[in-house]
Amino acid sequence: MTQHPTRGQPWRQQLVGFLVVSPALVLILALTLYPVAYSIWLSLLEKHSFFPQERFIGLENYIYLWSDPEFWTSFWLGVVYSIWTIFFQVVLGVAAALILNETFVGRGLVRGIVLFPYMIPTIVAVILWKWLLNDTYGVVNYWLLALGIAHDPISWLGADHIMLSTIVMSIWQFFPFVLLSILARLQTIPEELYEAAKVDGASALRRFTHVTLPQIRGILFVVILLRSIWMFTKFDTVWLMGEGAGAGRFIRTLPVYAYMRTLTYYQAGLGAALAVIMFAILIVSTVVYFGLFREEADIG
Amino acid sequence: MSIWRLRRLSARGSIYLGAGLLVLQAAFPFFWMVSTSFKPPTEVFAQPPSFIPEDPTLDNFRRLFTATGFLTYFRNSLVVSGLAVLLTMAVSAAGAYSLTRYRYPGREKIAGLILCTYMFAPIMVVIPFFILVKKVGIENTHFALVLAFTSFCLPFTLWLMRAFFETIPIELEEAALVDGAGRVRAVVYVVLPLALPGIIATSIFTFILAWNDYIFTRILIASDELKTLPVGVQDLFHSALIDWGLIMAAGMMITIPALLFFVTVQRYLIRGWGAGAVKG
Repeated sequence: MTQHPTRGQPWRQQLVGFLVVSPALVLILALTLYPVAYSIWLSLLEKHSFFPQERFIGLENYIYLWSDPEFWTSFWLGVVYSIWTIFFQVVLGVAAALILNETFVGRGLVRGIVLFPYMIPTIVAVILWKWLLNDTYGVVNYWLLALGIAHDPISWLGADHIMLSTIVMSIWQFFPFVLLSILARLQTIPEELYEAAKVDGASALRRFTHVTLPQIRGILFVVILLRSIWMFTKFDTVWLMGEGAGAGRFIRTLPVYAYMRTLTYYQAGLGAALAVIMFAILIVSTVVYFGLFREEADIG
Repeated sequence: MSIWRLRRLSARGSIYLGAGLLVLQAAFPFFWMVSTSFKPPTEVFAQPPSFIPEDPTLDNFRRLFTATGFLTYFRNSLVVSGLAVLLTMAVSAAGAYSLTRYRYPGREKIAGLILCTYMFAPIMVVIPFFILVKKVGIENTHFALVLAFTSFCLPFTLWLMRAFFETIPIELEEAALVDGAGRVRAVVYVVLPLALPGIIATSIFTFILAWNDYIFTRILIASDELKTLPVGVQDLFHSALIDWGLIMAAGMMITIPALLFFVTVQRYLIRGWGAGAVKG
């Protein structure tokens, strides 16, 4: 057998290739695509989460949600949470990537430390922050009082501040993803581009807008897309921050609401309808996003 | 000292300042966790708080190992994540090889499909998954959990392995094939040794992804003795008075494996294909 491994393959070779990929394909179809397709069917049923009975009710779940104030509240809470977390993740991520792309003593170690919060389980991030922000014994309140910035302990996990706390904590946990993606791209920008800009007398700011920004536009497009999808559907961080705090309903975003419909009220049909709605919102937003930034999409 | 030199110095200074602030914000919460985990209960709640434990003790760890199900959760996490990684790696290494080495109709469509499922969020999959698992009758088993972990790891792993196989020059296999080696021999003796670093790195990323899961375990597992770490540790909160020393000790014990794995793969992260190496 001496022919080229990829070109002009006879049908037997093609068949072998297909057979080799098929276990992965079967698992993806069975474990991801089938459940997602099934959730569309499930959203048309009235179904208890734990008992087998089910009844076809057409679009009634969707009609119910349309006039459900809780649905709209959770939608807006989700939008608020996503927009703030995405904005600051991107700004901080890019700024941090620019710093960590410079040469300085101990750079490797610093990069490792700064990326690490992204690698830990969410439950750890949540207990760290709940302890830092504890209203009576937390070190944050201790400092604020000791430095005279606040006069009374602030209830960070109470109704008034829990959204802010969750946003700050999420930025802390997820901006390293942006940092990592941008840093990987920055390292591939040829040094000559900066040398040339320097010779032309360009300031640091102009070097950023004229050399760096055009180079990272493509990856920025992808990163913002991925972060938006993952922040809008973020469940564990938001749910665990709200759990046990008594103020959970002030951060009840769509994913949390879908979970609660399914496992607190046992309405699997409604839960599935919420999942389908999230899916639809994401598809529409992605299409609009690609339309708005066609140029970046081509580079990305 | 000339103005030019002064400017350069202040630029250097601001880089070190920025790097210092970045390290501080990332490391302080962990420092605080470690510090708290070695404090006796009275010191945990002391005001003003002590930064270095004045009366360090291992009592929190002793209680964690003897009075809670921590060791069971730890073993469950290892077993379920390990099995999910084995299953995922086996099928995705084969899949990635096929996607980069063979040509057949629909190949690009399959690659597109994988990228698409890579963007699916767990919350959209877990609700129907839960109902289906109940219908099949495997709810509350580790088997269901391994399948669930595989469902969210596989697209990620396959995508990563494909990117990795693309960096291995095809000419080397061609040479082996021309020399009369069969396809299997070419794969075992030429491709695998070259792919090994990528396979190891990808396995670790996949392991971290599985190790960190919360939502699937929360929904699919009801029995205490089958829980994995993230869910088990969350349930430590469900007592009247929150035992922060104990919880911080638990947090530290979950973080250590993550830290060890992270240190081994860190150098892969910042390379070109590293940007695709993370999820969530």
